Amino acid sequence: MEALQGISWGIIAPILVIQLILLIIALIDLSKINQTNGPKWLWAIIVILGSIWGPVLYFVIGRKQS
Amino acid sequence: MRDLLVLFQKEWRENTRNYKILWIPLIFVFFGITEPVTNHYLPQILEAVGNIPEDAMFPFPEFTAAQILMSTMGQYQFIGMLVLVLGFMGTISRERKNGTGTLLYVRPISFFSYFLSKWKVVSIIAIGSVWLGLLTSWYYTELLFGNVPASDFFAFAGTYSVWILFVVTVVLAASAWLPTGGAAGVSLALVLVIQIIDSLLGTYWTISPWKISTYATQWLTGSPTMGDFWWSMAVTIIAIIALMIFGTWMSKRNASKTKV
Repeated sequence: MEALQGISWGIIAPILVIQLILLIIALIDLSKINQTNGPKWLWAIIVILGSIWGPVLYFVIGRKQS
Repeated sequence: MRDLLVLFQKEWRENTRNYKILWIPLIFVFFGITEPVTNHYLPQILEAVGNIPEDAMFPFPEFTAAQILMSTMGQYQFIGMLVLVLGFMGTISRERKNGTGTLLYVRPISFFSYFLSKWKVVSIIAIGSVWLGLLTSWYYTELLFGNVPASDFFAFAGTYSVWILFVVTVVLAASAWLPTGGAAGVSLALVLVIQIIDSLLGTYWTISPWKISTYATQWLTGSPTMGDFWWSMAVTIIAIIALMIFGTWMSKRNASKTKV
């Protein structure tokens, strides 16, 4: 991982912050919503493990519009 | 026009509650950052994960600042369009399906206000997201690669905004016309598939809405051919107006299909 030391963290930080915000919003929404398309625990795993795409998939397909 | 305001507020509230107002801009900003950053750190990333032999020489292409902005737009042209289509495909069709439509259609609203209120909200979200994303990308390009003059950038982003409005109108008109699945299919075909066809066979014509993004990038390196550029803009704006009329007509015709 020595090679990665040249990378400035100030530049990378916003990427991680965005991922974190998306993850948190998706999880908050998941805990509040009544029903999802498919089991809730599965969506929790997808949201947590799916990096940027997990929350997006959840918002596009997982959310059931009541 | 009072009903337009009320419908606009209703639409705005709905998009706040389903978090579209938050996650769609975040996705565009995300790609606005990652595109310059990954291109800048490509040598380090490859060295860390790529298993390149010690003495291998690998000539990395030197990107100019303008090329980085173009490649951000390239990301938007695929992933961004996918997000816009999938995010807004149900805007009208879902209301017919889940019964919100019934609550609306029994009231004496004009269908033009109904369609326009949705168009306004979705356009604000889409254009806002694209501008936020492009501005972040511009900032990062400035940090990591070099300067892109403000006049070039605004001509580029302004031209690209017209294409985004076209996409939004296509998605909403399709959503007024067909059920959600069909709307997604038609708008993906119109936005992505025709774009590929246009880039393959497009040398035979110079005026089409699908050429707008190409003309937008040309502002970064010079300027597009003025005649073609303005004609394409005119054709696109006429197409947007025609699609809005079509969408209004279709939401009126399909109003009876709403589930009670």
